[in-house]
Amino acid sequence: MRRGLVFAAAGLGTALLSGTLLIATSGEGPEAAQAVQESPAPGDPLTPEEIARAGEIATAGTHLKAEQAELLYVERDDDKDAEQARRAEAYIYDYGNDTLTVRTVDLGQSRVVEETTGRGVQPPPSRREELRAAELLLADPALGRGVRQSFMKAAGRELASPSDLALRGLIYSPERGPCRTHRCLRLFVRLPNGTFLDTSRIVLDLSAKRVHTLEW
Amino acid sequence: MLAGLLAVPLASPAPPPSAPAAADAADACGSPYLVDRTLPNGARWRLCWEIRTIEGLTVTRVRYMPKDSRSISVLRSGALAQIHVPYDSGEPRYHDIGSLGSAAVTLTAADCPGGELAKSKVCVTTRPRGHAYLKDGWGDESQRRTAQGQELVVLAAYQVGWYTYVSEWVFGDDGSITPRIGATGSLAGTTTAPKHGWPLGVGRKHFEESHSHNVFWRMDFDIEGRARDVVEQYDFAGNRTKKRSLVKTVFNRETRALNSRMRWWRVVDPGVRNTDRHPVSWEINNSDSAEYRGPADEAFTHADVYVTQYRACERLATENVAPRCGRSVDRYANDERVTDPVVWVNVGFHHVARDEDADPMPIHWQGFRVTPRDVTATNPY
Repeated sequence: MRRGLVFAAAGLGTALLSGTLLIATSGEGPEAAQAVQESPAPGDPLTPEEIARAGEIATAGTHLKAEQAELLYVERDDDKDAEQARRAEAYIYDYGNDTLTVRTVDLGQSRVVEETTGRGVQPPPSRREELRAAELLLADPALGRGVRQSFMKAAGRELASPSDLALRGLIYSPERGPCRTHRCLRLFVRLPNGTFLDTSRIVLDLSAKRVHTLEW
Repeated sequence: MLAGLLAVPLASPAPPPSAPAAADAADACGSPYLVDRTLPNGARWRLCWEIRTIEGLTVTRVRYMPKDSRSISVLRSGALAQIHVPYDSGEPRYHDIGSLGSAAVTLTAADCPGGELAKSKVCVTTRPRGHAYLKDGWGDESQRRTAQGQELVVLAAYQVGWYTYVSEWVFGDDGSITPRIGATGSLAGTTTAPKHGWPLGVGRKHFEESHSHNVFWRMDFDIEGRARDVVEQYDFAGNRTKKRSLVKTVFNRETRALNSRMRWWRVVDPGVRNTDRHPVSWEINNSDSAEYRGPADEAFTHADVYVTQYRACERLATENVAPRCGRSVDRYANDERVTDPVVWVNVGFHHVARDEDADPMPIHWQGFRVTPRDVTATNPY
């Protein structure tokens, strides 16, 4: 496995290598057209091939430090002022400086036609980020023990990996505190017996690689 | 004479050349994303759908074709724009959009009676909607008029934490559009103080926490293209008197509007007329909201309808994801001149749990109505 640049693109069905870039699948993604062989209509969702290509174009030539940046996902650009072109928006998050970059890729021209960057803007977490947040939760001595015990009680077996948990993450983006600028998640954690852990006060800070417990 | 539409000379300048008219759904999307359905009474709807990563089910290029009449474009796009879920004790306060695209639930035939599943995530079906009309013949059977209505439904469902949300776009055979969302699945199971909840289960030990679902929809109306569309607000003055008098307010600038009894809005294109030469419009009613108002840092909850100028990056009502763009709908509505209106509708539901909400929780619905006003000169059905 090439270490270093690891990107997760929602919607990709296959992992593919390209130059210095490894694009890894992050499980099932959003709606993506299956018919790769047919050319899509202008308003159809992006095909898996288009998602992969847009991700490559959007991240080509970027010098990102190991595991500091992530391609969160690629989405069709539905701007009605740009209907003539088939365009994709790639959401790239850099944990090193907590900036979000959105690169608009013109799929016809195979190039980036627009780029916007900002701080404190948090698109929803990717599947890979949900897993990383669960890893942070499990690495916390007290909370991790609690999760493992609850899992054992619910499943009758040891928790082997975070992917044993059914996870859904939401961004936690308050007006104050470290999570004002960091990439912070709240996780819903479903156990095999259908119950949910009470995680409403737990925030996983992917930028600082820390767990915050909210007080209220 | 046709019962339908008539284009009249432009009342205002044409759109700039950089902004072509929205392509028809038939040209813009293919199977299975194109829905083209003629309902039994002759009403026809045509649209594209897409499951987007963030907003989930999105309908685009929605056209309505009244029976025996020319078709007319209504919406360039419509989608959920946020589900804000604050709990009554003050915390937590969730913003449930999320990545609705990846939260979309796999549907089965049981979720889509009489319809077709597309990509196993979207159901397209038709269903009865009760009486379309009933007019008694006063004993004369030949004069009696009665009809049962049907509606086209495009739906998807999302698993967000313990909740399952069923999101529907309902297109009636009377030209109406009803966006609505149903919350089901499970309750959070959070215990709270008696004043913030309701006792569930045996005795009075577990007080399930009450909470709100403040759901926002974003609707980009383009009646026969984006040009000339205007939003008007209608009120009826005369409270505590015998008379009611129509008061019209035109929103030439971005606006944060509040619900009021009898109040409604419409998006009107004065350049598109029916055969009575009345301008074609769609009326928006938001009368079922709990009208939740949060603290100062949740100013997006402080209005029920927002009208903003179209801007591609303004997609969510809160926690918007585009850099160098506003973060929430209250900030989009900052008095800019409106030439291409986008309407945001905020519908709140306050959920005080009850014993019947035990698993699986019965679905509770919230939404609003969009109805044609002078799209045709008469009832075409």
